[in-house]
Amino acid sequence: MNTGQQEHKLDAGFWRATIVMGVISALGMWGVVVFPIERYLPEAAGIAVQIDWLFKFMAFFSVPILVYVNGYMIYFAVRYRNRKGQPLDQPGSSIHDHKALEFWWTAIPSVLMLVLGILSYVLIPQYYTARAASADSVTIEAIGHQFSWEFRYPGLRDPVPDELHLPINVPVTIDSTSTDVIHSFWVPAFRMKQDMIPGMVVPMTFTPTEIGKYEIVCTEFCGVGHSGMRDRFVYVQSRSDFDAWYAAEKTKQAHAPTQLTAAVLASGDAGAGQQLFNARCTTCHNAAPFDQRKVGPGLANLFHDPAHPKLLSGKAPTPADVADILEHGLSGSMGQMPNAQLNGLSAKDIADLVAYLKTLK
Amino acid sequence: MQAAVGTAHVPHGHIHPPPDTFIKKYIFSQDHKVIAVQYFITSGLFFVLAGLLAEMMRAQLASANNTLLSPTTYNEAYSVHGSAMVWLVIIPILTGAFGNLIMPLQIGARDVAFPWLNMFSFWLLPPAGILLFGSFIWGAPEAGWTEYPPISLEQSFGTSMWCMAIFLIGVSSTITGLNFLVTIIKMRAPGMTWTRMPLFVWATAVTAFLSFIATANLSAALLGLLIERTFGVPFYDPAKGGSPVLWQHIFWFYSHPAVYIMILPAFGIVSEILPTFCRRPIFGYKAIAYSSVAIGLVSFAVWAHHMFTSGLAPWVQLPFMIMTMIVGIPTGVKIFSWVATLWGGNIRLTTPMYFVLGFLSTFTFGGITGIMLASVPADVHEHATYFVVAHLHYVLFGGSVFGIFAGLYYWWPKMTGRMLDETLGKIHFWLMFVSFNATFLPMHWIGLEGMPRRVSTYDPQYQDTNLFISISAFVLGASMLVFAYNAIKSTLSGREAGQNPWGARTLEWMIPSPPPYYNFEDIPVVLSGPYDYGKPLPYREIKADLDYKPIV
Ligand code: HEC
Ligand SMILES: [Cu+2]
Repeated sequence: MNTGQQEHKLDAGFWRATIVMGVISALGMWGVVVFPIERYLPEAAGIAVQIDWLFKFMAFFSVPILVYVNGYMIYFAVRYRNRKGQPLDQPGSSIHDHKALEFWWTAIPSVLMLVLGILSYVLIPQYYTARAASADSVTIEAIGHQFSWEFRYPGLRDPVPDELHLPINVPVTIDSTSTDVIHSFWVPAFRMKQDMIPGMVVPMTFTPTEIGKYEIVCTEFCGVGHSGMRDRFVYVQSRSDFDAWYAAEKTKQAHAPTQLTAAVLASGDAGAGQQLFNARCTTCHNAAPFDQRKVGPGLANLFHDPAHPKLLSGKAPTPADVADILEHGLSGSMGQMPNAQLNGLSAKDIADLVAYLKTLK
Repeated sequence: MQAAVGTAHVPHGHIHPPPDTFIKKYIFSQDHKVIAVQYFITSGLFFVLAGLLAEMMRAQLASANNTLLSPTTYNEAYSVHGSAMVWLVIIPILTGAFGNLIMPLQIGARDVAFPWLNMFSFWLLPPAGILLFGSFIWGAPEAGWTEYPPISLEQSFGTSMWCMAIFLIGVSSTITGLNFLVTIIKMRAPGMTWTRMPLFVWATAVTAFLSFIATANLSAALLGLLIERTFGVPFYDPAKGGSPVLWQHIFWFYSHPAVYIMILPAFGIVSEILPTFCRRPIFGYKAIAYSSVAIGLVSFAVWAHHMFTSGLAPWVQLPFMIMTMIVGIPTGVKIFSWVATLWGGNIRLTTPMYFVLGFLSTFTFGGITGIMLASVPADVHEHATYFVVAHLHYVLFGGSVFGIFAGLYYWWPKMTGRMLDETLGKIHFWLMFVSFNATFLPMHWIGLEGMPRRVSTYDPQYQDTNLFISISAFVLGASMLVFAYNAIKSTLSGREAGQNPWGARTLEWMIPSPPPYYNFEDIPVVLSGPYDYGKPLPYREIKADLDYKPIV
């Protein structure tokens, strides 16, 4: 059967296929260069632009590798397939080494890796070692909680929960840590991410360059509410807007009641409460009847549910007792209801929430 | 038994009689081939269970704020899915099943060095599986297959069961590693020098070395976690002076080499199938063999690339980034050598070849996204997003699982004596290849856009893509049914395979299918490497049926 060894040469067909693949690669590489990443995900920090270029650099050289590996694979598989009438055991080419070829396909990727390594290294120190040091720069402490963020600004008495305000075009250093489990603070629009590890404070430094509102996402599994740790935002503002926000926040904190007195509780604002509820509570609760639970029960008819005349704390559903749950948390068969500190609630926030819960039917 | 004619020496002169009771033959068997089948069946069952968990997850993710699964159930599902696929499916199938079935045959041995230990290794697998899947009763682990503390310290008792399950698998891996290493070093047939070994044996040798050395670290880390959870000795809890990052270091010191435990044998499978169906020598035998060794060694020095956002100083990140990029080079050499093997062949596009070509295509893609993750600044954006989920499935599914199916279609006739149906095989391939890419390719994009991994609900902007992914994932699951049907059909009415249905040249094809209890009546003598198609067979002392019997 065997009709002897076949030896092949690089013929015209091979070179034609090579050129076709070259054209496809060139198109792909051109596509990578002109691809408008920022249309899909804003580049809102200086580093974001650089990281996108690095990504494009990698994608640019990946295109020809993918095209040639797949292309030659398919071309050879078709070109050298066993044809009708050709004995099945006729041996193919006996060439099993080619020094020059092997040299080049080791050398070229090595050089590419080297360049990539250098480019990558140049970018690293920018955000891990440098601290924002100019006169107008800001340093913020960011603390991860199950399941909220807390931002501490120099000069503000209370932390700001779940809202990060940053002035544009000045370097920012965020010192991040956690008080419970590991979280990871990610702002996709900045291309920046840092794990928040209990017991460690890790800085990252960058400069926001585009005014806007960008999502903060938790990317380290942190418990039952992890999926809900999104929909919180960074606000990059002009210097004057930032200063105005900072001043307003300062006044608000100065006037905010520190004690949850009966008067404070009675003065709650249901509108503000609804906003708070959507931001802090919907990870675990629905504004729906008791049975429609997420992690905790639905809270729609908390104050007037004939089927559940008592709160889970065993008390009657009075505003003061609900406020008590919000302040001190609750631990029961459904799990853990975080206390006011973990949920980032001030005395006024609790009053607003109770006012809102009362309006639910 | 025929007298050995003209051999220099025959190391294993006498043959033990085969076991005579059912239990000794099929349950507590010490025969490497029976143990291999036991691994295939057990891990195949776990594959089905872990796959169903994945389908549950995709059902939940079909819509953005779905309430089909509670967050807790969802977290349990992905944690057990990942743990089971890595430790109960891919590692046992590639080492326990393929390593056991093929390696001793390819080196011309009658069994592994320590048959009793081999049996013991296997019997650690079923209890590990029961512990892992049983953990659902007390609340399965929720923090993924990586179980980072401190959150894993707070979880319910199921997490302790997880520790015990993975510990057992670790012991099993370590023992198998040692066993295979000794077998390959000491029991090769006369004349089989290192550079005459089939490439699957090379891959198994490096894998065995990795399993033997690396797995003990995992066991130590797990024991620490279990002790801390049970007795409160603070290894990892920062509140009591422990370090959560310590776990990450030890875990990845094992789990990065484990990535190569899960891919090197698949490389070996590919390197066997290509020459057989191209009917020509593998291109760059030595480059492929030595690059496995290089990958194995370097794999011990890259672990912290999983931790670029864990607060490591830049001067620590740098060497890990460089080493990770270096791993890409021997891997590239392998891929290029495989493509070059296709050049000038007389290629038969059988089902095993389809899976090999599918492997080449998807694994190359996964390798490239691996380099993208190695670059520290890019990784800072990509880490812990769906980009990573996509990458790891391209290497573990597109690489390891495609390799496993290639190997199954290729060696099924050797294992069972019957052929799998080629038409069904090709249907299986196309369904699996298309739905695999449709499932995992879009994940790269939503990850880069901002979707984190390990979430049961997500921003509605990713809704359409996720629905598409879920539908593809169901098709991917269904493609496995084609294989199951094919396997049953083959067992009942498959064509007799004969000794060497593919006309291959490695030693396992020189003996009947399935091989007799003692494998080789006479231990063969090896005269040169196994891939020189067109030359006379390089063996003495075998009565090979040299005719190439085409099966289609
Ligand atoms: C981490 C999840 C989580 C978050 C966030 C959370 N809760 Fe809860 N909540 C629970 C759980 C769990 C329970 C039930 C505890 C039990 O089993 O007793 C609960 C119980 C309650 C109850 C008592 C219900 C009853 O019927 O007695 C109220 C009121 C409540 N939560 C209000 C809130 C409000 C308002 C917020 C937002 C500030 C909030 N919760 C945020 C988990 C959460
Ligand atoms: Cu978190």
